[in-house]
Amino acid sequence: MKKKKMVISQETMDVDFVRKVEALSGTSVRRCFQCGKCSAGCPMATFMEHPPNRVVRLLQLGQWQRVLAGRSIWYCASCETCTTRCPNKVDLASIMDALRKLSWDAEGASKESYVQLANKLFLQNIRTYGRQYEMRLAAVFNVKSGQFLKDLMLGPKLLAKGKLKMFHSKNKNMPEIEKIFTRIEEMRKKGEAL
Amino acid sequence: MKELNYSYYPGCSLHASAGEYDLSTRELFKALRIGLTEIPDWFCCGATPAHNVDELLSLSLCAKNLELADKVEGDMAVACASCFSRLKTAQHVLGESDVKRKQVEKAIDAPVKLDSNVKHLLEILAKDLGLERLAAAVNKPLSGLKVACYYGCLLTRPADVPNLDCAEAPTIMERVIEAAGAETVAWTHRLECCGANFTLSRPGVVLQLTNAILESAKAAGADCIMVGCPLCHGNLDIRQKEIEGVYSTSYGLPVFYLTQLVGLSVGLGADKLGLDAMMVNPMPLLKEKGFL
Repeated sequence: MKKKKMVISQETMDVDFVRKVEALSGTSVRRCFQCGKCSAGCPMATFMEHPPNRVVRLLQLGQWQRVLAGRSIWYCASCETCTTRCPNKVDLASIMDALRKLSWDAEGASKESYVQLANKLFLQNIRTYGRQYEMRLAAVFNVKSGQFLKDLMLGPKLLAKGKLKMFHSKNKNMPEIEKIFTRIEEMRKKGEAL
Repeated sequence: MKELNYSYYPGCSLHASAGEYDLSTRELFKALRIGLTEIPDWFCCGATPAHNVDELLSLSLCAKNLELADKVEGDMAVACASCFSRLKTAQHVLGESDVKRKQVEKAIDAPVKLDSNVKHLLEILAKDLGLERLAAAVNKPLSGLKVACYYGCLLTRPADVPNLDCAEAPTIMERVIEAAGAETVAWTHRLECCGANFTLSRPGVVLQLTNAILESAKAAGADCIMVGCPLCHGNLDIRQKEIEGVYSTSYGLPVFYLTQLVGLSVGLGADKLGLDAMMVNPMPLLKEKGFL
């Protein structure tokens, strides 16, 4: 793929978006001086088109569309190594969370769909059952991602070891759990929360 | 000596793929006379997927669970490193941000509990019970067993949240298992990420990262690996055979939960530790060392 040239100008810099990222993550991208320790320690950098330090640099330059368009943010494993090692206390793991949330809200802004699908099913499981139903999570993921044969050989072995439960009961306090989801939705509708 | 009692938050995995962690935790605590009461109606903390895309939801799920835990006597005992990290993070974030705390209180329709103590099992064994009392309870020391202690990510990182041990050079796992009589090995990958929940969405990532961890443990001369997290366990144990195939190698490293190994040292039998649930069979190793 041909790389698109980056043009830094008043037109291409969107600092409002970056402010939103800073508010959500409770950290400032302006503190970063590009030492690169985050990317040096990042176990996932090898899978990313923009390693962590470059994600921050792009944000400093207001080029967030480039970040969201790629798959870097979805390949972050939330291992917290970057946050732990940053000499300037930039909480990069939280910046990644904020970016994913804004990308998630914009629906499908990123190329990486498998990770987003897994997240979606995981959250749906909480709302339906309270506790994770691992068997269903894996089965529905395979169907929805069109990978019917993924880990097929593993299933029977896990069942034999008692590691996969066929049946799963819902929590008794499901109405209370559902209320958490609906209250958050209402707060967002009223603009009381991001 | 004060009696130890805890409210127990097993987490979703311990009721499914990590059943042996749950079983061995309950049996070990019983053997050590530590009280453990499961929190009624506890539910998923949201784990990585929730905070990945919706911090407010993640904080709210954790805050509600903290409230449920508050109704049970004692500090909160958490087995899963991911649940532990989420609950501690929620307390940390809500303690620092009034805006987020108010939003969460509205979402759960209750005040947020910030003062309750959330403890990983390691902390309970090493600090509350204490290494001396733990060592005194050992009647079958794990002499000659070389253990690679694997921390993974969330037991110690980031530095100011879990407060379990030093983020970059922790020793708590080594201290616990040495109290049980085992030897520990020095190795390079004890704090590296295994790929965690990418096991569902992008297993290729997990194979690559976990292979490096197994390789490092093997090179250091370890007989086995010890973990305190069901996700690490899943990737190291369940995927080990697949990794051996993909990378044309052989590790044969049993992966124990810390409660299984410590349980063994206080005299618990294989049936009480769920050793038969492990994918990499630990029996040849344990028999060779004379522990069973």
